[in-house]
Order: sequence, then C-alpha cells, then structure tokens
Amino acid sequence: MSIQNLIMNLQKFWADQGCYLAQPYDLEVGAGTMTPDTFFRVLDKKPWKVAYVQPSRRPTDGRYGDNPHRVQKHFQYQVIIKPSPPDIQQVYIKSLVSLGINVQEHDLRFDEDDWESPSIGAWGVGWQVLLDGLEITQFTYFQQAGGIDLSPVPVELTYGLERLEMFLEGKDDIYDLDWSHDVSYQDLRYVEEKEFSEYNFSQADIRGLKESFRLNEREAQQLINKDLLLPAYDMCLKCSHFFNLLDSRGAISVTERVKMIAQIRTLVSQIAQKYTAREDSA
Amino acid sequence: MEFLLEVFTEEMPPSHVKAALSQLEEKFEEELLSKNIDAKKVEIHGTCRRLIIFGDLAPKQKDRKEEIIGPPKAVAFQDDGTPAPAAKGFAKSQGVNVNELEVIKTDKGEYLGVKKIEKGKPTQNILSEILPALISSLSFPKMMRWGSSSFRFSRPIKNILCLFNEKHLSFSVGGITAGNSTYGHKLHCPKKIKVKTFREYKATLKKMRVVVNQEERRRMILSQVERKLASLKAECYPDEDLLERLSFDVEYPYVFLGSFPEDYLNLPIEILSTAMREGQRLFSVVKDKKQLPLFLGVADGYRDVKSLIQKGNERVLKARLEDAKFFWTQDQKSGLKDRAKNLGKIVFQEKLGSYEDKTQRLKKIVAYLADKVDAQKTKKQVVQGAELSKVDLLTEMVREFPSLQGKVGGLYAREEGYPAPAWKAVYEHYEPVSLEDESPSSLTGSILSIADKLDSIVGAVGVGVLVTGSKDPFGLRRNAQGICKVVLDKKFNFSFSRLLDKVIDVYGAKIREPENQVKKYCLEFFANRLRYIYESQGYRYDLVNAAISAGIENIYHSLLRVKALDSLKESPNFEPLILIFKRVNNILRDQPLFRINSGLFVEKDERELYTTFCIVRDNVLPLIKKGDFSQAQKIIFRIKSSINNFFDNVLVMANEMRIRRNRLALLQAINRLLIQVADYSQVVIEGQNASK
Repeated sequence: MSIQNLIMNLQKFWADQGCYLAQPYDLEVGAGTMTPDTFFRVLDKKPWKVAYVQPSRRPTDGRYGDNPHRVQKHFQYQVIIKPSPPDIQQVYIKSLVSLGINVQEHDLRFDEDDWESPSIGAWGVGWQVLLDGLEITQFTYFQQAGGIDLSPVPVELTYGLERLEMFLEGKDDIYDLDWSHDVSYQDLRYVEEKEFSEYNFSQADIRGLKESFRLNEREAQQLINKDLLLPAYDMCLKCSHFFNLLDSRGAISVTERVKMIAQIRTLVSQIAQKYTAREDSA
Repeated sequence: MEFLLEVFTEEMPPSHVKAALSQLEEKFEEELLSKNIDAKKVEIHGTCRRLIIFGDLAPKQKDRKEEIIGPPKAVAFQDDGTPAPAAKGFAKSQGVNVNELEVIKTDKGEYLGVKKIEKGKPTQNILSEILPALISSLSFPKMMRWGSSSFRFSRPIKNILCLFNEKHLSFSVGGITAGNSTYGHKLHCPKKIKVKTFREYKATLKKMRVVVNQEERRRMILSQVERKLASLKAECYPDEDLLERLSFDVEYPYVFLGSFPEDYLNLPIEILSTAMREGQRLFSVVKDKKQLPLFLGVADGYRDVKSLIQKGNERVLKARLEDAKFFWTQDQKSGLKDRAKNLGKIVFQEKLGSYEDKTQRLKKIVAYLADKVDAQKTKKQVVQGAELSKVDLLTEMVREFPSLQGKVGGLYAREEGYPAPAWKAVYEHYEPVSLEDESPSSLTGSILSIADKLDSIVGAVGVGVLVTGSKDPFGLRRNAQGICKVVLDKKFNFSFSRLLDKVIDVYGAKIREPENQVKKYCLEFFANRLRYIYESQGYRYDLVNAAISAGIENIYHSLLRVKALDSLKESPNFEPLILIFKRVNNILRDQPLFRINSGLFVEKDERELYTTFCIVRDNVLPLIKKGDFSQAQKIIFRIKSSINNFFDNVLVMANEMRIRRNRLALLQAINRLLIQVADYSQVVIEGQNASK
C-alpha cells in the first residue's frame, strides 16, 4: 500500500465514522494539534468530528536527508472527536484493521504517554500506540487547551503517516517509501529535506526572524484587542514557527527561551478565553 | 460468601495500577471493619485494564448490641414501686414500654436502661452502598476526565463487574452500571462473558488470554525467559523494575527472543541496554557478564506465529541503535571542554541561573569538600569532574536518553582520556538515585554526588521552595537521602553545618531567603531524612530521636550514636540510667545557667560526684570527638553509683542559694556532657510515657 492509498483509506474510514474531512492548514505548524480545526474546535461545548492530513514542521529534526527516519517535515493524520466516544479504542483498532493489519498477529500496545504543549497551554492524558515496538499513533484525551479545562473532553488521534507506512511496506528507510505506484518519498522530499536542513541550521536570518517574531507578536495582540481571534491565532502560529527556526539556529538564550514561550502562551490564552466567552454566549 | 469486583478500564500505567491496588485493599478492609462485616479472605489482583477485589465475606453485618443508660435505679421508682416520671420519660424517649426497661449495673451503681439489638443488614446492601464511593475515592498520580462527564479516574472506565453470592450487585459509578459480565483480551478475545464465581471468572478469562494475577504473569514471564535462554546458556540481564512493569503491562505475557547486528556491540553496554529498555522495554541478554547481540521482549498475547512481532521489534531496535551509534560518534566530534561553553544556554532553575553557574559553584564546593574528607590527592580530578559534570546535558545522546545523564558524560570523558578519578566522578555523580541504589564507587564520584545534590537543595530552599506533605516538586527529599546515604556508606567525617555555610556562601546573592533561615531549614530537613533512614533500617524511633536530637553537625556521627544506643539498650544499666538522666533533665528544666565552684561542695556525695564527673568527662570528650559513642557511653554509665548516692543523700534544692546553684551547676555540666552523646530524655522507657 502506498502513502496515498494509506491516506485515502484513513479518509474513507474516518469519513464513515462521521468525521468532516478538513484540508491541511496553510501555515507552518509543529503538529496537527495546532491548526484551528483542532485548537478552536476543542474549546467550545459543541460536538465536533474532524480528520485531516497535516504537514508538520520541526526544524531541529532536520538531518539533510541523511537519516533514514528523521525529517524536518513529516505528515500527520489527525483525528479529533468531541466528546470522546466510549468505544474509541475499538474504533481505532478497526481503523488499523481497515489498513490490512491483522492485529492478532502483532503486539499492539497502549503505552502510557501524556502529552503537553506549553506554548499553547495544552495538555492531555493518553498513550503512544506501539505496534511491535514501533510508535504509530499518539492517542490523547485532551484535558486543557489555552489554559482552559475542556468539557466535553475531545479525543485526539495522531497517526504518524511515515511510521505507519514503513510498517506497512516493511521498509527501514523513509526515503524508500512509495508515495504512489511510481513516485517515491525520495522523489518528493529528499531535496526539500536537504535544502531546508541547510536553511534551518545555517541560513535562516536570525535578525530577520527575531524581528518577525516581534512584529507578529505585536500584531497578534492588536488583533486580540479587536476581537479578531482567528487572524490573531495565525500570528501566534507564525511566532511559534519563527521561534522553532531560531531554536534550530541555536540563537535563543536561556532567558529568551522562557520569555518567548511565555509570550506565545499569553497570547494564546487570551484568544482561548475570548473565544470560549464568545461561543458560550452565542 | 463470595464477593468479586472488577473495574475494567482502558490501559492504566503500571504505577497507577499499583497505587490503586494498594488503596483498594486498604480502603476495602477499612470499610468492612467499620461496617462490621466479617471477612475470611480479601485478595487483590490486577492488570493494566482491571482492578479486582475477591473476598469471602459474611452474609450480613454482625448484630450490634447497644445499651442506653437511663435514670439511676434509686430515683426510677416511686415509694409504691411504680415507675417514677423519670423512668417513664426515658422509656418514652427510647420508644419502649416502661416495663421493658432493665437494670444495668455500672461502675457508678445501678441504673435503668434499655438493651437494644440492632440487626445487621445483608452484606450485599452494604456493598452496593460503599462501593461507588470506594471506587471514586481512588487517587492516581495523574487523573483524567473523558466524554461529557466530570468523573475523574486514571483512564476511562469501560465496565464494572460485581458479584456477591453469585448474584450481581447493582450500583453505578462514573456513568457505568455494574453488572455480571466482563470482557476477554482486547485483541485475541474481545468477547463479552458472564460469570458467577471467582473460579469461573479466573478460568474463563485465562482461556480468553487474560491472567488476572500479577504474580502469575510474572512467573509466566520468568519461566518463558528461562526456556528461551536455556539452549544459549545465557542470562537475562536482571532488571527488577522492568520485570514488574511488564507484568502489569500485559494481560497475557508472551516472551520472544530477537537479535541485532553484532557491530552495535561496540557501543558501551550502558547505552545498549538503555536503548533496549526505554521505548521498547526489552531485556538485554548476557553471557559471562558480556552483552550478546540478543534481546528478550514481552508481548501481550500468546504467540508470534509468523515471527512478525520479533521482526518488527528487531527493526525498531536497529533504528534506535543506529541513532545511538550516530550520536556516539557525532557527540565526540567536539570535545567536552569545547561543548562546555554552551552550558550558559541551559537553565538549571529559573531563579538560580544556568548550568554554567551551577558548574562554577560545584567546582568550589567539591574543592572544599575534598579537603574535608581527606581526598586532597584527587582534588584536581574531582574539580575537573565538576567542570565536566553537566556538559552531557548538551549532547545528542542525553537528549535521546535522558536517563543516561552523568553516565554519558563519564563515558565521553573516559574516551577523551581523562584520568579515572575525573571521569568516574562525572559518571557516578547522580548516584544514588534512591536508598536502594548503590552509592558511587569512587571517592571523587561520592564528593561530586554530595556537592551536586546539596547545591540543588540549598538553591531551592534559598529561593523559597518548601517541602510539605506530598509536595516535593524538586525531589529534594530524594536528594537529601542520597547525600545521607553517601556520607554514611563512605563513613565521611566532616562538619555538615560548615558545608552548608560553604554552599550558602558560594550561592551569594542568588539566595533570597535569610541565610540563617535557609541553614536552619536545611538542618531540620536533613534531620528528618536521617530519622526516616534510621527508622526504616529498623532502629527504635526513640533511640533515633535521642541520637538526632544530639545534633547532626556530623552526619556520620549520628549513625554511630544510634548504633551506640542500640547496642546498649539491652544492658541492665540502661533503663535505670535513662531514668536518672531524665531526672537530671527535669530538675534542670527552666533553670538559668550556673557555674561550678568546687569550693562550695559541702557534702561527701556531691564532692564524689564532681570528682567522678571530672574523670568521666576527661575520658569521654576525646572519644566523642573520635565518634566512639559506644565506648563513651560505657564510660558515662560509670557515673551511675555516684549520681545515685548524690540523689539519695544530697538535697539539690538546698535552702542556701549559693549551695543550691552550685549543685544545679554540677548537674548542668553533667547534662551538657550527656547531650553530646545522646539526648537521653527522648528515650522511652516501658511503662513510662516519653517526657517530651
């Protein structure tokens, strides 16, 4: 099964479970959790079911295309269901079966792994799902986002598409994966990994990034004051990405790091609070 | 009658299961006791998905007899023998007829009263009442909510099975209604089953690939491990924590053997075994203490027909080892000294600055300590160790395997050719991580271990972190216990209070709390940790108190004091002397300090006591200094007959003030000598309450 078949399978499976299929968000994010389809929609009280592929960037994970399983951009398949259904574990297992995995021939384990993202004030409780020792999914019951207790509680499933595909194809090198029957991961991503690693670690303009962080941070605050919460949140995502780039450039001192994370968290908390107030009174 | 409760959940972490099982046992037995239900047996079992109580309970509560005392018999009857208004009123208030009142004999005489028997309720009714509260009261290291409910537990509850005398009890908790069914293994047999008895429950679940008892699962793991390794004549590298974890992690253990390419054996064994243990939770396999390119894993199931589990794990492990090998060579491309320049970039503690700051402090503290524990010879190397101790926090290897901190730095230092005392200092300085763990083997590692931990404690206390009850966010207790353990294991003889002064001084302005309070808090904190350590070693609590109240100026001496008290506690002289010492202590309470004037002793027995005291003191003081408290105590006990005669024949509180003060001064001098050995007033003598 190629990656695109894997994606189509998951799309079909989760659409059948009643999920709306979102398209990837068009800004750089570190994880599917950070996109508005998750961040905003988990805050309010309304039921919500969504599934989508999200390219996720972690600049410090870049390895110039040299490492068989570490990349600065990978693809997550993100599912959010609120409230968490009582049979979600079984449904998740069924999704693996739908990919042709005979779970009775494998060791499928739900291994304690709580998740936390300080910059968006979010944490949850759950597991990393291990298939014969390979982590294929992060399974989380969201408890808080933007510093706010979530009720009802959403469940978040994040499949690592490359990991899962390496399992399905039985391959040890990410670049050997098939995206389609005649296009490989190497064809699509190798040059990108090489060039972005160079950019992330050596070329990204430190002064420019710091300046951009400052400008976007300021703009976010102005937008919050005008109750333009979605644009304000975009600014926070941009800040977060600039921060990650600065980090991979090794350009952040101890005190700056603490300060910058706190700056983003403060903005995000304000957005979350205003958003819930608005939704709850609507 | 048989009782069975199973709380069935999504996968709970092993630490949660353990916490829940011990709470269940304790709380359930408490409830039975308070509800007067006899139990012939209570057993606790559990897996990562099940918390189970099995019991053999009485069918109903014991009847409760109650006596309610009314008016005295003397006033309860009128002259003509008919009940007086007092008796009538009492009968009415109790809802009984006045002629049902009985005479009850008490210490104060005869009274009228009623004897009531409250019939015990059926156990099943009581159970339905207490179980919801019992289940909701379980507390876990971290709790969660799920769905639309505000109920909190370790992980979502899926089902509750509850049987008493083969019938199911009905109650609800966390949105789940108890019933008479449960489920088999999640993948291999997820069917729902109904059961009536514990025997049936256990047997059916076993067929459905669930072994409910943790000990049994553990035995299954061990016997399978043995079978797998028998032909290889190899051994599984013992890892008790991992074994315990795995015996909770799976419902039906299946052990598989896998291998990895031999060239990874070039990696140090510490790194290999950590790569195996963390992430995939694999055991290392060793032969004649040498690592083999093999591992053992425990799967949750009963077979691996196509060896898919084994092959999958081999692939994942190979990738991890490949990473480790990459880090091992990559990290060594820049030397530790060079890397140390970036220590300023990582935070040690927000208010206490960076690891660069910490490194500078450690260098000063170890240099000081090396002089105090006769380690001048390796002073240079321990300072070198301190300088490198935190550098590995900047390596890829520690970023990948945080539990290898210290060890990685030590290994890199060894590779770079640092002398053994220096690299071992780095390697061992996080040890011991608990009281069960070993202390560092090297002198330099011991010194750096103490310095590192004390720096963390003093720093945290200095910025106002206090340890209370279950709150200890910085692990200060564990650090303090680690220091105590090293000092005691290594028999280090030095002034703890001066070491504290040194550390406080090295911190300088970073300490925000008043220095004398920081020191006082630390001393008290360490005294409590030592109490805990000695008591858990089995020493009597009052002897421990007596030893520690004498001060912990020298930590090692506090142990010698406890041992001295312990060794003499059986001596026939012990109790009488303690009583005399307590008497001295009581007489002196609230007295101001007086000075001895030997010319003022008038009675023979007081002169004799003074002479004996002087001899004893001159002999004992050098012994105290040496820490030979056993011998010191033996000599002190020679004061017994003199002090007895003194109390028998001399009036301490003489009318003439000069004489009285002089006698008090003598007792004070004796007391001052005693307190240097132990605070005997803390010793509890049978039949006498501790005078506190």
